[in-house]
Amino acid sequence: MSSPIQRSPLRVSLSSLTPNNLGTVRKLNSVLFPIKYSEKFYQDILLPEAEDFCKLIYYNDIPVGTICCRVETENGKTRLYIMTMGILAPYRSRGLGSQSLEQVIASAASHLKPKIGSISLHVQVSNPAGKAFYERHAFKEVGIHQGYYKKIVPQDAWILERQIVEP
Amino acid sequence: MPPATALSKRALPSKEATLFKELLNLYETRQLKKGSKTADQILKKFPEHGETLCMKGLIQTHLGKREEGLELVKKGIRLDLTSHICWHVFGLIQKGEKNYEEALKSYTQALRFDKENLNILRDAAHLQTQLRIYDGLVETRHTLLRLRPALRQNWIGLAIAYHLNGNIAEALKVVEQYEAILKNVPDYDVEHSEVLLYHIRLLEDLGQINEALTLLDVNAKSRAILDRIAIMEFRARLMSKLHLDDAEHTWQALIEQNPDCHDYYKGFLLNRGIDLDAVTDETRSQALQCLRDFSAQMPKAGAPLRLALNIAQGEQFKELVEPYLLAGLEKGVPSLFADVKALYRDEHKRRIIEDIVESYREKCAAVTPVPADPISVDPTAYLWTLYFLAQHHSSLSRHTRSLELIDIAVTHTPTLPELYMFKGRVLKRCGDPYGAARCMDEARVLDLQDRFLNTKCAKYRLRAGYIDQAVEILGLFTKKDASSPSADLEDMQSLLYLTEDADGQLRRGNLGLALKRYTAVQKVFDELEDDQFDFHGYSLRKFTLNVYLDLITWEDQLRSHPVYIHAAISVSQIYVRLHDDPSLGTSSVTAGLTDAEKKAKKKAKKAAQKVQEDSKKGATATSANEDKGLEPGPAKDDDLDGTKLLQAQDGLEKAAKMLAPLSTLAKDNVDAWIATYDVAVRRKKYLQAVKALNSAKALSPEHPELHVRLAHFQKTMSSAPQPPPEPVGSVVSNALARLLPVELSLELFNAQYLQRHSIDAASILAAAKVSRILPVPREEIESTVFGILNPDVRPDIKTASQAVAFLQEIRSPRTDEFKVACDARFELSTIFKSPSEIAALPWKAAEVDVAADTQGKTEMLG
Repeated sequence: MSSPIQRSPLRVSLSSLTPNNLGTVRKLNSVLFPIKYSEKFYQDILLPEAEDFCKLIYYNDIPVGTICCRVETENGKTRLYIMTMGILAPYRSRGLGSQSLEQVIASAASHLKPKIGSISLHVQVSNPAGKAFYERHAFKEVGIHQGYYKKIVPQDAWILERQIVEP
Repeated sequence: MPPATALSKRALPSKEATLFKELLNLYETRQLKKGSKTADQILKKFPEHGETLCMKGLIQTHLGKREEGLELVKKGIRLDLTSHICWHVFGLIQKGEKNYEEALKSYTQALRFDKENLNILRDAAHLQTQLRIYDGLVETRHTLLRLRPALRQNWIGLAIAYHLNGNIAEALKVVEQYEAILKNVPDYDVEHSEVLLYHIRLLEDLGQINEALTLLDVNAKSRAILDRIAIMEFRARLMSKLHLDDAEHTWQALIEQNPDCHDYYKGFLLNRGIDLDAVTDETRSQALQCLRDFSAQMPKAGAPLRLALNIAQGEQFKELVEPYLLAGLEKGVPSLFADVKALYRDEHKRRIIEDIVESYREKCAAVTPVPADPISVDPTAYLWTLYFLAQHHSSLSRHTRSLELIDIAVTHTPTLPELYMFKGRVLKRCGDPYGAARCMDEARVLDLQDRFLNTKCAKYRLRAGYIDQAVEILGLFTKKDASSPSADLEDMQSLLYLTEDADGQLRRGNLGLALKRYTAVQKVFDELEDDQFDFHGYSLRKFTLNVYLDLITWEDQLRSHPVYIHAAISVSQIYVRLHDDPSLGTSSVTAGLTDAEKKAKKKAKKAAQKVQEDSKKGATATSANEDKGLEPGPAKDDDLDGTKLLQAQDGLEKAAKMLAPLSTLAKDNVDAWIATYDVAVRRKKYLQAVKALNSAKALSPEHPELHVRLAHFQKTMSSAPQPPPEPVGSVVSNALARLLPVELSLELFNAQYLQRHSIDAASILAAAKVSRILPVPREEIESTVFGILNPDVRPDIKTASQAVAFLQEIRSPRTDEFKVACDARFELSTIFKSPSEIAALPWKAAEVDVAADTQGKTEMLG
């Protein structure tokens, strides 16, 4: 087992999800995203194979953000898909997101069975700041998914992707 | 001399005499089965041999056949009343039952027939200590020392006996003689070190400071005293008392050793003639300078900074408190408010703190929206500032402001459990226990493995009457094989649970269960008292004298614990109510229970019975040969819902017994005296009643509850068919005349009281209670109670709900009217709402709505 909390000088730390802190994830999701997530979502992020890719983000020992990904295999190719990633508004622009994203990418790069080739996500087209954030982390726009969102407007989303190179 | 017949009966022929010796040996080595057989062998020939019967009884008791064993022992004693063995056995069994008084009597009998039996003497000494019979203890220890002067612990035992008996000079003599004859002490001997420290303590207590210091220095140097910290502390204290120049260094060294111990700073300053607890204008600046120097020396130590806040004033206080607060907020110290709250006694300091933190909040609020400057203000500092201010305003009863601040904080960072917890606390203060419980649950679901959050949530649920739901949470921490969480919590002596559950049962009118839980609290304290018994032997054997003496003092103060006081007062109030209205005893068992709850109760009862039966079966099946010791096992609980306690005929006696320790241990507590009066007057113990009233009056002459009792006493005495017999009668009437002016009628007495306190809600309620005693028509009583609602009267939630309870008690038709008015007056409260409105309140943290959005999933699956 890896230790759940890794300290960094920025007073930022990541912690694994457990059934006990799931309430915090629910609370964060409810304020960060316009979408309500299903129970299936909350079951999946607790799966042992998701542990390296689903984290709570702490700042000064307070949970202020979350990143949740899942590993998908399609046509023999395995990729990491970022389902949610968000930081509470007052804590943005402090490098929390970048640091967490880089850590997840690092975990993906060292993932062996199966090997993860790329990492991708959707960003709503009304969120250019979000897109820019990922582009700073070497993500590229590979297309637009029309009508991706059913209940919120605008319904379209950019598809962003980054290839993973082995460490 | 014992009569010849008994002696001849006791003597056995040589074969049996050998068997009897063997029997004693077998018992000593706990070969119980064999012992029992050997006893039978003797009894076959001599069925009336008392000592053998007693030994057999003792063995049977060890084997778990308690009743049979006791029967045998009693029979044995009857057959041989002058045998020390018989009495010793009886004493052992009584000691096992924790019946220390009777056990000591048996031991005393045993000693009459065998004056120099070491085992009996030692046990007797322990019993005397437990029962605090110190004169007898000194005597017993003397005998022991005379018989075995070579045993070291016998010397110390005698010294401690003198000490406990208040004769410190004799204790010192014994210790000195002991040290004089001591030979060949090994190096680094902890026991010897303890004795030396005790010796120094005795010298200090007797004022022989120079001698104490010399003894300390000699033995510290020779490494005979091993406890380095104790050496430093004793040294610093003794040198200070002698006004030696070196004293300051010693204190300094202590502070460097542990810079967070407030007592060391106090000692250091006291040595310079500055009393930190009573600073004068002359010493203030010196003290502050000292503390500043310490801070400069040890920048990480919090104590000198905090202590300086206690004594600084005005501008200087402001200069000191500002960095202290800001450091705490920026670091994110959750307990910062609790830390500085003590300073609020000084209104000026409170204002300064408010100004500083409020202006910091404004600064934060202005900066945070601009994320471009990430270093200047940490968002968590803003968050902790809001949290601090919410606590600050709520402590000053500005609850609405407090809730506003919490809401801002929750919007800012919705994941900090402290915010929801504190919101719950504010709601509780506002009279909304249901909302409070819900907030606690919100905090709890953020971190389900946090014991503190879970416990708090359970406590708040109990307060809101969600008893089953509370037990559900508490069950997370209890043993899984216990018959129920509450049974395990009782075993584990959880005073928090027992008290809160008792209070909850009382609120919902289930007097039986309330009594049961309060009685369980009492039992916990009895156990704590019993627990010291083993230490009377252990501490002497191990020479841990100094902590042992502290333990004895602590045990003597045991029942001054607030939980005990609360339980004692509550029990007495219940029994007083039952005395005044015996019908409560039959009606309240099932009061306040819904059908579902009744069913659940029946089920729980069955389950508990089953567990008990199972454990019984298991016990008999597995371990017929096992030694069960002399302590009786846990008694079978045959009063699951407290009905027996409720219907007890001697309720008032029980209450009086529980209250008795309070007359010395809680003599500054008005409520305790009021409760003592209530019980005493109903038991017709008028002298006790007078004493209680006098004590209460000395503490708080205008106390509302006292006012009611004065009238009650007057009325009781004047309406009694005849005065109490002399000499009590005249004492009581004289006392009454001093308590209540004779020339005043009760009506006038009450009217004057009401006039004096016309805008104090509790006093108005008291006046209403007195007018009921007079008596006056109900309408008049009601209109007095409604005076509480006058605009210039500011009742608190507690008084208002007591007024509601009083109206219910006199079956007032205006009760609902009063409740509605209170509901409007206390905007945030829910306790004045109707039962159906209360039942409709949500009590759980909003659960995520599962069904609502499967759409989200498909969207995210992309």
